[in-house]
Amino acid sequence: MADPNVSGQARAFMAMTPVKPGEEKPLAEYLRGLRSRGPSPLAKLPRTHMGRFVIVPDFHNDPTWNQRHEEHLDLNYLIFTSNLDGDIDSYLDELCDKLAPEAKEIWGRCVGCPDSASGHALKTYLKHNQIKSGIFFSAYGQATVAKVKESLRRREQVIAFAIRAQGMGPEELQQAFVAEFGSTG
Amino acid sequence: MSVEATPAAPITATGTHPRNHDGQAIAITVFSTIKLPGRVFLPVLFAVTRRFPKLTATLRQLSFIHFARWCLIGRLPYNGPPQKKGRFRYPHMYFESNFNGGWEEYIDAFSHILTNGMTAFWGTSYGFPKPLPTAPFKKYIQANETEADHYYSAYPEATSTMIQRALELDAKLAPLKRDASRMSPEEFRSAYRAFITDAQNAL
Amino acid sequence: MAAPAVRMDLGDIQGDILRAYGNSFDCTSYAFVRMECEPAQARAWFHGLIGHVTTAAPWERKPRTTLNVALTASGLKALGVAGETIASFSHEFRQGMAARAELLGDVGPSAPSAWERGLGTGDAHVLLTINAQTTGDHRRALDKMEAAMQDAGGVRIVFQQDAELLEGAREHFGFADGFAQPAIAGATEEKAAGGGVLERSGRWRPLAAGEFILGHPDEDANVDRRRRLPPSGDGVLGRNATYMVWRKLHQDVALWRRTIAAAAERYPYGDARKLAAKVVGRWQDGTPLETNPHGPDPQFDPAAPGANDFRYRDDLDGRRCPLGAHVRRSNPRDALGHASKLSFRHRMIRRGMPYGPPLPEGEMQDDGAERGLVFVSFQSSIFRQFEGVQTPWINDGNIFGLGADKDFLLGDPAGSGKMTIQGEKPFFLAPQAPFVVTRGGEYLFVPGISGLEALAHAVA
Repeated sequence: MADPNVSGQARAFMAMTPVKPGEEKPLAEYLRGLRSRGPSPLAKLPRTHMGRFVIVPDFHNDPTWNQRHEEHLDLNYLIFTSNLDGDIDSYLDELCDKLAPEAKEIWGRCVGCPDSASGHALKTYLKHNQIKSGIFFSAYGQATVAKVKESLRRREQVIAFAIRAQGMGPEELQQAFVAEFGSTG
Repeated sequence: MSVEATPAAPITATGTHPRNHDGQAIAITVFSTIKLPGRVFLPVLFAVTRRFPKLTATLRQLSFIHFARWCLIGRLPYNGPPQKKGRFRYPHMYFESNFNGGWEEYIDAFSHILTNGMTAFWGTSYGFPKPLPTAPFKKYIQANETEADHYYSAYPEATSTMIQRALELDAKLAPLKRDASRMSPEEFRSAYRAFITDAQNAL
Repeated sequence: MAAPAVRMDLGDIQGDILRAYGNSFDCTSYAFVRMECEPAQARAWFHGLIGHVTTAAPWERKPRTTLNVALTASGLKALGVAGETIASFSHEFRQGMAARAELLGDVGPSAPSAWERGLGTGDAHVLLTINAQTTGDHRRALDKMEAAMQDAGGVRIVFQQDAELLEGAREHFGFADGFAQPAIAGATEEKAAGGGVLERSGRWRPLAAGEFILGHPDEDANVDRRRRLPPSGDGVLGRNATYMVWRKLHQDVALWRRTIAAAAERYPYGDARKLAAKVVGRWQDGTPLETNPHGPDPQFDPAAPGANDFRYRDDLDGRRCPLGAHVRRSNPRDALGHASKLSFRHRMIRRGMPYGPPLPEGEMQDDGAERGLVFVSFQSSIFRQFEGVQTPWINDGNIFGLGADKDFLLGDPAGSGKMTIQGEKPFFLAPQAPFVVTRGGEYLFVPGISGLEALAHAVA
């Protein structure tokens, strides 16, 4: 049966780690402040399509929902998910290497995280806390991040060319096209 | 269900918290508490859906989702104290989606078009009100949603549709690029016209 | 599913919602009024209006003038309405149109900072809409209104816009306007074909009245009668009321004509009229491109019940009516697939009126005159209906597969975006400066008659 964490060449990764008591607020402030301090750290991992950090304080218990028992999380939990290209192992290697400064601020605030919060120890920790998908859907799982970005650029280029090329004669059209897009022939 | 005068007000123009945004990309993160029969039913549903991807075909056709996932969680990995060890009393379903468009629009499409799929996926969740009418369903999702603390997209300017069209366009452009300089100007013009006509719905 | 039988209390619904007064009266004025006084004093003036308000009850004889009343969120406050009552109104109404500018595409030259004085600032409290049969009637009605304000003290007009119908009920770009309206159960059921909800069976049915008139079952109520209705103000305020969107949209007619004429020189499939029709999705007389792609139908009667009876399922590639044409964006019917399930909850009653003198036929240079359209829509949810069209469909092309292209007829203040005219060979309209610029606007609430009474007596 197909691996539920795979769609095309894209993969789903998720880790859910308990936040140390007292660290909930500093962790939230750190994550929420990332935007104002520059590009997302996830931009350092060029195989990441989309990713998120979510602190879940508790499950929602609604007294009118006929749930026999309430259920609560024992601690706040940090969810990290990523939709990524290629295999998870090498992705986590890259993460533990390039995100070392941030990892200390993020998983360093979680229960059981190794003190260094980097390298192989962090990878082992993240894999230990991995939650496997039941279903993973991607709309264009065959395309890598690089391919997506390139195609988006090319679409803009084709549109601009198509507008410019209206009314060109055959020779001018061909020359302009080759100049714009090159020719591998 | 108790009925309040106002639903939770949409916080941004698209109806969700700004932290759930990166450009056009929007994150939704939802936990549902699953009734005990779901512990058996959902893994079967997941397996069937993976093998017969009718639901995912509709998701692809609706074309506003980049990535989505469902996970069933019965227990969490143990990391030592002060974390408590053991299973949850109920299984919990984690759902995340990376999509574009307004939150409202998204839920509407889910309720009106994926009606049966929604019932299958959330029917064993406590409090799930059926996908239609849309208002209680929206309220249910909002109650169970957690805002992202940090959200990232590698291409925040793009929508899922735009990406799929751009990929198609790129594939159609490739042979023309390859052959352009080998053709006579007249040949090239008709090849270019054929390309642009063929690709017009991606432009 | 059959729409539930509706009995509407027409005597409690304001008259300009279900009926287009602009078409029956020669003169229209929109007066935005500020109440700079104690709530009690404001209510006294407000109370004086109620006896003159025109209801939807059938006329025995057409009145010489009509009056209709709507309020902004700041207007409710000025009348002394309690904070918790105001909180029961919808979020977007309480925020107001100016706060929603970015989402509406009101940026650059259309930004609220450039709006005309009195709009979008919280200064406008009450909108009085006056229609009159003759200029004399009009003058008398305005005089009477101003005299009542004088008497009240502290009540003054902060913005006034006059409007009048152009010949042939056209808007300034020359297109017939305002005749394609939703079919409403209990009110305009005869327009169901093309104006209602398209069922999977291919049949059309009218929309539930609650989509437009608050306090009545809406389309969600068709599925579950117990469901609460959209946020609408507590108690009597939520009955027989509606939300109103008012926008003043300047039209640069000369720029529109020059752009279309220049592009038409290179357009291989027809003349400027055809190219303009491709941008709009209708010929100038209103004939839909979808039914008549080659030319207008001389027999076309916009008022006939079947005038809008068409769908897009056989034209999903936009060869007849382009995917980005204005009317196709505004009401995509079944163009998004799944019959009309992705479009039917986004309908509005539109009551637009042109203002300013027409630019003479054939004139290609701007004469500096102010002209355009007063856009008015009525709906139960501004967020779902007006904004649900304006943001994803008019200001974005994604859902139609058009990337970030905006509606070419209105244009992009940033001058980006193009339009693809699908065809045997596609034709591209290059990015241009916007033809339409927002000069200001407000989100308003239109109470029923008993709602007006409740406001005037401070019992709301």
